[in-house]
Amino acid sequence: MSEALLQTRGLTKKYGETTALNQVSLTLRQGDIYGLVGRNGAGKTTFFKCVMGLAQATAGEIEIGGEKSSLNTARRKIGFMINASSFSYLNPRQNLNYLCRAKGIRPQNEVDRLLRLVQLDGVKKPFKAFSMGMKQRLGIAGALLGSPLIVVLDEPINGLDPQGIADIRAVIQRENQEHGTTFIVSSHILSELDLVATRFGFIEQGCLLQEITHTALHERTQKSLVVEVNDPAKALELLRTQLGITGAATDGRSLLLESHFDRPQEIARVLVSAGVELFRLAPQETTLEEYFMRLVGGRDA
Amino acid sequence: MLNYMRGEIYRILRKKNLYIYFGAFALGYILLVFIRSAGEFSEQNLLADAENLFVFLPAVIGGYLFTALYTDDLHSKNLTALIGCGMGKAKIVLSKLLLMALFGALLFGLVPLLMDAVYAMFGAPASAAVLKAVYIWALKSLLTMFAYAALSGIVVYGVQRATVAVVLYLLLALGIVSQLLGLLFSWDFVASIAPNLADHLMSGISVRIVFSLLGSGSGTSAWIEYAIYVAASAVLSVVAFHKKELEF
Repeated sequence: MSEALLQTRGLTKKYGETTALNQVSLTLRQGDIYGLVGRNGAGKTTFFKCVMGLAQATAGEIEIGGEKSSLNTARRKIGFMINASSFSYLNPRQNLNYLCRAKGIRPQNEVDRLLRLVQLDGVKKPFKAFSMGMKQRLGIAGALLGSPLIVVLDEPINGLDPQGIADIRAVIQRENQEHGTTFIVSSHILSELDLVATRFGFIEQGCLLQEITHTALHERTQKSLVVEVNDPAKALELLRTQLGITGAATDGRSLLLESHFDRPQEIARVLVSAGVELFRLAPQETTLEEYFMRLVGGRDA
Repeated sequence: MLNYMRGEIYRILRKKNLYIYFGAFALGYILLVFIRSAGEFSEQNLLADAENLFVFLPAVIGGYLFTALYTDDLHSKNLTALIGCGMGKAKIVLSKLLLMALFGALLFGLVPLLMDAVYAMFGAPASAAVLKAVYIWALKSLLTMFAYAALSGIVVYGVQRATVAVVLYLLLALGIVSQLLGLLFSWDFVASIAPNLADHLMSGISVRIVFSLLGSGSGTSAWIEYAIYVAASAVLSVVAFHKKELEF
C-alpha cells in the first residue's frame, strides 16, 4: 500500500452549535486522485479549510507528509486552488511569477511548463478578461507550482462548460501520470469525478461516510436483478434453498439481487411453481448518483 | 518573509494604474502650481505649497498604496493562498507594514524633488534650507500615512472587507476622525478627566515630531508614542487575523 501523504483522525470543526465536520478520518495516499464527494454544505470546504490552516479544527489530528506538529512547514508541500482567484490586473505569466517569488520557488522555468500544461502560454490579457475555464486552469497551474506533494482542488469544475471540464480532467490526469502528483479534488458532480478519481470519499453533514476505491465502487454499482413479488420472505427462502442465492436485499415487495442476473428464467420458474406471485423481474443498473444518494439516504435533516 | 516581499514588489510594479495615477498626480501638481502662481515663483510659495499639499498626501498617496498593498489581497483571495501554503499570519502583517514604509518612503521622498524640479523649471529652485523644511513636511505626512495604514490594517485582517478598510483609512488620512475626536476631547467633561488628549492623537503626535525636527523641543515622547501606536496596531492586526477565519 502506498505511503499516506495526508491523514486526518477524528477531525472535528464546530461553529457554535453547528458541527460542520464530525470525526472525519481520511487518508490520502501517494499517487491518489482522491475524489471528495458531497452535496453543497456537506463539509468539503470546511475539511480543506482545516487541513490548510485557514480554520482551526475544534478537535482531531492532521498529519501531512508524516508531520503532525509543524503543520505550517508541512503545508508548504501542498498546492491548492480555491475559487480560482488571482490578481485581476496581472496576466497569467505575471500571476505565476508573483507566486514563484512569494513562495520562494525556483527555477522560474517551471512557469513555462505549467503555462503550456494548462494551455495558457502566449496569453497576454489580464486575469480579469479571462473566461471561467481559463481562470480555473490558471488556478490549477498555481496549485502545481513548485511540484507540491499534494494538490488540493476545491470544486475545480464548478461553472465550467463541457470542454472546460474535459480540459481540467486532462490536466489532472496528465500531471498524476507523468509526475506522480497526488490530488484531492472535491466536487458534488460524482459522474465527473468518476472519470478521473482513483479513490473516493463520501461526505455528508460533516461525516465521512465511506472511503472506497474506484474499482470497488464500480463493483457495487454494477447490474442487479429486481424481483417484485407478493411474498418477499417466502421468495427469499425459496431462492436460498432451491437456487443457493443468498444476500439479497429487500425493499418493500422487491428483492434486489447483486448477482445471478444471468438466471432470470430459473428464478421465475422456482418462484411461480411454488405459488409466489411474480409482478416484475428485470435487470437494473445503479448509477453512481443513485449509489451516493442511497449512501446518504436517511441522513437528511 | 523576504520572498513574499519580493513577490509583492514585483506585483505592485506591474500595476499599470500605478504609473497612470502618479503620472496624473505629477501633471496635476504642475498645472496647479502654474495656475496658482500667477507668474510669481518663490521659495515662500514652495514652502506654502508643501504645507498645503502634504495635508492631503496621506490620503492621495497613502490611499493608493493602502489599496494596492492591502485590499488587492482581499479581492484576489491571495491571503488564503499564502496562508494555505504555510505562510505565517504575523509574517504577512509585518511584511505589509514594511512594504508600506518602503513604498511610502520612496514616494514621499520623490514628491519634494518633484516640487523642487517644478519650481526650478519656473526659475525658483529651492535652497537647501527650504528643501529640508519641505522634507520635514514630507516626513510628517509619511509618518501619519504609515500609522493610519497600520491602524486600518486591523480592519483589513479582522473584518476582511476591502471597502470598510479603505473608507476607514480615508477617514483617518483626511483628518476626519482626528477632528471628531478633537471635538470630543475639547468637551469640558472629557477635558477635566483627561486634559490634552488631542496631543496624543496621531495628528498631535506628528506635529510634535515636526516641531522637534524643526528645533523646538524634544520629540522623544512623541516618537515613543508613535512607536506604541504602530506596534499596538501590528499586534492587534495579528490577533484579529488569527481570530477571523479566512473566507473561501
